[in-house]
Amino acid sequence: MNDSTSREPLTTEASSLDQSMARLRGWLGIPLVLLLATYAYTVIQAPLDNVQGVIQKILYVHPPLAYGAYLGFIVTAIGGALYLWTDREEFDRLAIAGAEVGVIFCTLMLVTGPIWAKGTWGKWWSWDPRLTVTLLLWFIYLAYMLLRSFSGSGARTARFAAVYGFVGVVLIPLNYYIIEIFDNRSIHPDNLEQGSLGAGMGLPFLMGNLALFFVFAYLLLLRWEVEGLRTRAAWDEAEGLMAGEEYS
Amino acid sequence: MNVALAILWKDLLTEWRSRDRVIAMLLFSLLVVVVFHFALPSGTRVGVVENAAGLLWVAYIFAANIGLNRSFALELENDALSGLALAPGERGWIFTGKALANFCLIGIVQAVTAFVFALAFDLDLLGIALELAGVVALGSFGICTAGTLFSAMSVRTRLREVLLPILLLPALFPVLAGVVAGTRSLIIEGNVSFEAIQLLLVIDGIYLVVSFLGFEYILDE
Repeated sequence: MNDSTSREPLTTEASSLDQSMARLRGWLGIPLVLLLATYAYTVIQAPLDNVQGVIQKILYVHPPLAYGAYLGFIVTAIGGALYLWTDREEFDRLAIAGAEVGVIFCTLMLVTGPIWAKGTWGKWWSWDPRLTVTLLLWFIYLAYMLLRSFSGSGARTARFAAVYGFVGVVLIPLNYYIIEIFDNRSIHPDNLEQGSLGAGMGLPFLMGNLALFFVFAYLLLLRWEVEGLRTRAAWDEAEGLMAGEEYS
Repeated sequence: MNVALAILWKDLLTEWRSRDRVIAMLLFSLLVVVVFHFALPSGTRVGVVENAAGLLWVAYIFAANIGLNRSFALELENDALSGLALAPGERGWIFTGKALANFCLIGIVQAVTAFVFALAFDLDLLGIALELAGVVALGSFGICTAGTLFSAMSVRTRLREVLLPILLLPALFPVLAGVVAGTRSLIIEGNVSFEAIQLLLVIDGIYLVVSFLGFEYILDE
């Protein structure tokens, strides 16, 4: 698997996977705009919470951001594992895209969470299991990006990052389990059950999940594409330099 | 398996001849104990007993970080790392040898630090010495498996030793949460629940498998 002879020949052409992903991203554009407009409309129309007031509307953005963050990190682990397995650099780019979009979602979740918490729990932060796990996850993926940026570029960086990204995802259930046992001071609401949302709140929540999932997918594909263009530009440049050397 | 033993023997012998890693770790962790003396309010023994486990592990994890960093920095001289990568046999065994060597060296430092800590803060750890060694070994095993894997990565980045704690600490959370809880109940109540031991064993097992398999991709020529 590590054998460099098994590597695909390097080419400056976009691979068929890249092309179909770029096409998919193009198709996502119009539904994305429509969804975001509907989402904004339903959130404005949603009734105000009797107890929490307007701050409760963070509900329509905070959990969907969390799902996006977790999804991003799972994409990173899958991309990394596929890269190690197949040695195709497209999957490494998928892992980068997953981590970066995941970090954006996770950061926004960590920003919206405390705002909501201050309004309802009366304090900015609580060492609740879910908060702790998310914070640790955020640190792991910042470390992942730091690892990438300080290892240069190339196959070694991709392998390091793949292994680290995989460890990061293995840690998610482990962290949950250990905190449940040793440090359980949960004030975070449990997963939404049927009927736990007030009347008129279900639709904007659903729209929030749908819209932000599309935002996630769009950003992921865009980031993947950009990384591909960057790689190909680097190869073009390298080829140009080599050709120039031949002439001089 | 022989590869692992050979690496273990090589690392311990190198350390025996230079003794630089153990001495550096030891001095550092003793300094941390002295810092604790200044950080804690003097004369209140109650707070020390309650927090001894956490304090001890702060000293341990910092010292381990120094030792783990040197583990592969050693191999960069004369490009010994390439030699290791080219060695026949599965690379996971090279990892095992390295991790075991780290485990032994860090273990020595941990024992001495615990002894000095007990003297400095008037704690009676002698009665629970054996149990304490067992619990600490379980935690240390987790630190050494993940730490050895990440040390092999960080040593070949531009940030080198700065990157290791950033990679390692968030990944070690399950081990630290478990082992600090176990050590605390041992120091305060004199016993540790079987549940905690079981959990640490499971986490150590997961770390060992992931690191053993992951090392294959970390070491390259």
